[in-house]
Amino acid sequence: MEPTAESKFSDVDEYGFKRGEKFDYKDYGKFMDSYLKTLTRRRIKWESIIRENPELILNTKLKRYIRKGIPGPYRTDVWMKISGAEAAQKKNPNLYRSLLNIDHFIKEISDSISIDLPRTFPDNIHFDSKKERLFNILCAYAHHNRDVGYCQGLNYIAGLLLIVTDDEEKSFWLLKHIVENIVPQYHSHNMASLLRDLAVFRELVIKRVPAVNRRVEDLGLPYAVIASKWFICIFAEVLPVETVLRIWDCVFAEGYKIVFRAALALFITHKNLILECEDIAALANLFRDTMIQGSIVTDCHSFIDSMFSIRLKRSELESLRKVAVLNEHMSNK
Amino acid sequence: MATTPRSGGSGSGAAQRPNGTSQNKSCQFKLVLLGESAVGKSSLVLRFVKGQFHEYQESTIGAAFLTQTICIEDTVVKFEIWDTAGQERYHSLAPMYYRGAQAAIVVYDIQNQDSFQRAKTWVKELHKQASPNIVIALAGNKADLSNIRVVEFDEAKQYAEENGLLFMETSAKTGMNVNDIFLAIAKKLPKNDNNQGSVIKPNGNEPTQTTNNCCK
Repeated sequence: MEPTAESKFSDVDEYGFKRGEKFDYKDYGKFMDSYLKTLTRRRIKWESIIRENPELILNTKLKRYIRKGIPGPYRTDVWMKISGAEAAQKKNPNLYRSLLNIDHFIKEISDSISIDLPRTFPDNIHFDSKKERLFNILCAYAHHNRDVGYCQGLNYIAGLLLIVTDDEEKSFWLLKHIVENIVPQYHSHNMASLLRDLAVFRELVIKRVPAVNRRVEDLGLPYAVIASKWFICIFAEVLPVETVLRIWDCVFAEGYKIVFRAALALFITHKNLILECEDIAALANLFRDTMIQGSIVTDCHSFIDSMFSIRLKRSELESLRKVAVLNEHMSNK
Repeated sequence: MATTPRSGGSGSGAAQRPNGTSQNKSCQFKLVLLGESAVGKSSLVLRFVKGQFHEYQESTIGAAFLTQTICIEDTVVKFEIWDTAGQERYHSLAPMYYRGAQAAIVVYDIQNQDSFQRAKTWVKELHKQASPNIVIALAGNKADLSNIRVVEFDEAKQYAEENGLLFMETSAKTGMNVNDIFLAIAKKLPKNDNNQGSVIKPNGNEPTQTTNNCCK
């Protein structure tokens, strides 16, 4: 659907991403009418909380505010503070510059990053001018953390960080925080924790929506096909950008549990659509196309609500992780 | 951010379409694409399935699944296509996709010698680990850039012959040989009930007889 003359929305969103051909402007208009009011209200509330709690010490109130969305203008600062990235940067203020001053980047790393630059957000109208900075961030990080080096997918995380912060060095520190503290060992050479958490995610689906798991397994679409990119990219380049940023707000405040919440919410909110799929192609198409353009995820406000209506405890995740590691160990024997 | 829809239905770019008559036999095959990063695996699939080409195709993270149906003679052949990520570290996921596959396309970039070596490694791995009857095709992609090639046609052809592979140079950009390589695979695949064998579901460990069998 093209934006019509009376449509107040351009075919490019505020972050420079082109809206899809099937983008439903009418539906989005309805959502934005109320969401814009919410955003204005939130912004006034945030002005006061920042006066009250300038160091943004994470307490119940701040956590509640963050779950309702950090207003765009505050996002970079809040992410840097609540994640601890700012504190880490202060401890090592010269790190980023010194990484950029390395005499020779390892060719294998810089080559693979260069190949991915033009294919990172090719549809974003502002991104061309950011590619050099994206190269710097990814190359610096790959040399800083040789266990990870450059993993495809980090380009989308770093790219989106750069779009939001418009600051190379802050993007580097936030990227470092995600890769090392939020989802450690997802991006390393053997991706061990990714495989473990895919198994954990499957267990959670079995527990929460067993019928959905049966359908997915009967049709034969592996969880790795459905969810690898969700976990590797923390939904960047998977869901609509506003929804991703709302998820990231919570990820920086609350950690990896949010990634599972979001993944589970996608399964739960799409339960009926998944059960209606008659074959593997329909199921794959649901996850690849239908889901990401539907109003369930475009309406980020209610999607975030649905994430937090799921009962999920860190202790449950931790024990499922232990079981997954044991199973993996057994199957390798 | 996922705002470009890869247009809805499938099949607008296929070479031949099923004619819809009911006397057709039908077969379903699992096909996996393997190869170095950025050689054009996803682009070949996109060209075959949707008839499209994106100069800057986003890199595949994990894997993607698509289907396409073609018709040869009186048989409708449905390909279940598993398109994998090329970066080396995603290798640990690959067996999940080639396990139980009846066909594989191993792709390299004719401008990139390393990618040809990597293709050979994939062929070796398939010979060792995949189903013994797997039909393997070697695709030298980006053939539209043959004036700056580094992998010679004859060298690859000879390698393919020595290893019992189908071989074509392809261009996802121009469409050259894209449908043909899938057609050639379809022709080589056994199309009777007895040859499909058992399919192992990618996410389970138990082999299951396919219920959706071939050429009934």
